[in-house]
Amino acid sequence: MPFRLPGGGPRISVDNDRCELYGICAMEAPDVFDLGQDGRLRFHTRLLDETTMEQAKMAARCCPMQAVVMRGELDG
Amino acid sequence: MADGDRIVIVGAGVAGLRAAERLREQNFDGEIVLIGDEARRPYHRPMVSKALVMGTERPSDVGLSHYLPDLDVHWRLGARVTHLDTTERVVHLPGGESLWYDGLIAATGVYPRHLPGAPRHDPRVRILRTVEDSMAVRRCLNASKKPAVVIGAGLIGNEFAASMRHIGRDVTLIGHAKAPLHRFGDRVSSGIVEAHHEHRAKLAMKSEVRHWISTKDTVGLHLTNNQLLVASVVVLAIGSVPSVDWMRGSGLDISDGVLCDSKLFAEGASDVVIAGDIARWPNLRFDETPRRVEHWINAVESARHAADNLLMGQSSAKPFTPLPRAWSTLYDTRLQMCGMPSLAEDTVTLADGITGFIRDGRLVGISSWDKPRAMLDWMAELDRRLPAPDYVPEPEPAPAPEVAEVPTVEPSPAALAADVPPEFDSGFDHQAFEREFESEFANDIPTTAFPALAAPPTTAFAAQPGAAAPPTMAIPIGR
Repeated sequence: MPFRLPGGGPRISVDNDRCELYGICAMEAPDVFDLGQDGRLRFHTRLLDETTMEQAKMAARCCPMQAVVMRGELDG
Repeated sequence: MADGDRIVIVGAGVAGLRAAERLREQNFDGEIVLIGDEARRPYHRPMVSKALVMGTERPSDVGLSHYLPDLDVHWRLGARVTHLDTTERVVHLPGGESLWYDGLIAATGVYPRHLPGAPRHDPRVRILRTVEDSMAVRRCLNASKKPAVVIGAGLIGNEFAASMRHIGRDVTLIGHAKAPLHRFGDRVSSGIVEAHHEHRAKLAMKSEVRHWISTKDTVGLHLTNNQLLVASVVVLAIGSVPSVDWMRGSGLDISDGVLCDSKLFAEGASDVVIAGDIARWPNLRFDETPRRVEHWINAVESARHAADNLLMGQSSAKPFTPLPRAWSTLYDTRLQMCGMPSLAEDTVTLADGITGFIRDGRLVGISSWDKPRAMLDWMAELDRRLPAPDYVPEPEPAPAPEVAEVPTVEPSPAALAADVPPEFDSGFDHQAFEREFESEFANDIPTTAFPALAAPPTTAFAAQPGAAAPPTMAIPIGR
């Protein structure tokens, strides 16, 4: 894993206008997303390694509302 | 598949896109041709009956992304394949065009079913499948203040009715079943009836259209319950039929979708795989009966699996054994489903808002009424109780390229290692089953299958605020 400068590298965000908190992302990417007992979705914005990267991509693909947005270099 | 090969993907919906994406992820470096009959690149079709028809999303904003630096696909949009020749390995297109392939992925999806007697030539009688369909419905709504009517009490019918109320239009939902969404269990069914009443959407259940009155200015419906409705638009949402006409005469079995083996290869062709709604395959997690699954997430997962299997070849391919998942939003309620509820003979209430579906004393499906957090735990539980069978590859020393995991559809190693739950008697005893469920679930301690759980599933519901709690925002954990 090459060293990345702060601010670089792949990042994710969630479109709150679309997200309806189904938690499919938490199922696909448990290391990135967490749907808490309070119904809130928490997530890491930086993807630090290949595992979380692949998980996050799968969460973005399966999101029912297509609310997961990925930015930056996506080749892992 | 080898270098320089050409893979043709027929169908440019979500399944076609995800299949192409997976081929490139697996380093397939041949040519990919993606053929679609719509003029648009793949978009998020579930929005057609919701955000698009309400006008809260624009058509230009609903395209699907891929997550690769370069997808490198040749698009053939606005072209409908007319014929498939599996012997010559050629698909035929209008105008005499033909396209050879080394591998074919068929993902043409389904088309809304026609209601006999419905005057589809009337511009106010519509279906909801494409972006253009949703725009046409919006034009009808803008042209008249009369109520909207939707025929069909399935997911799309209910979603459309809720969408109409959301934008302040009167709507009547007509269905011949006794209650909307009855196959999701009584809890969901009574919940949606209540929600429609609360939002003043009208229901005409156990009814059908006796006469259509289609004039130049208006469309009217005379129902079997003697109601007369005059509508601005009538949407037909009575299910769908697989779009497989183009395979007629190809030798494939297209009696209901395309008959496949458990690995999604079309029966009778070793270079054709099927993805999405048209694949009729035996999901070995449940049994050996081939069935179709018309869910959006299944299109994503089956497309990726089909792409993997096509690259590996039939002998080293792996069976596709997902736990199907589906969702819908009706008004502010999130409805979710997992497994195969349609197989069940009986239902049982597992927890507040969670219905279990039982076949032969085994849990085969779950539906939930606005309980997404609890649903995560119950889906893990269903995965543990209904694990994908261990696959023993055929004893042929084939060069096995590294198989990427199919996320979530396979049980986690922990789930496999967990004790196999005691089987219930094959003669189903409802009371004994409920006792067993209570003793197993009420006192369940978190197992290794879901170590992330802070609390056992049953307490998860108590901790969750009721339907009154507004959906909260997603919170980035920034750094």
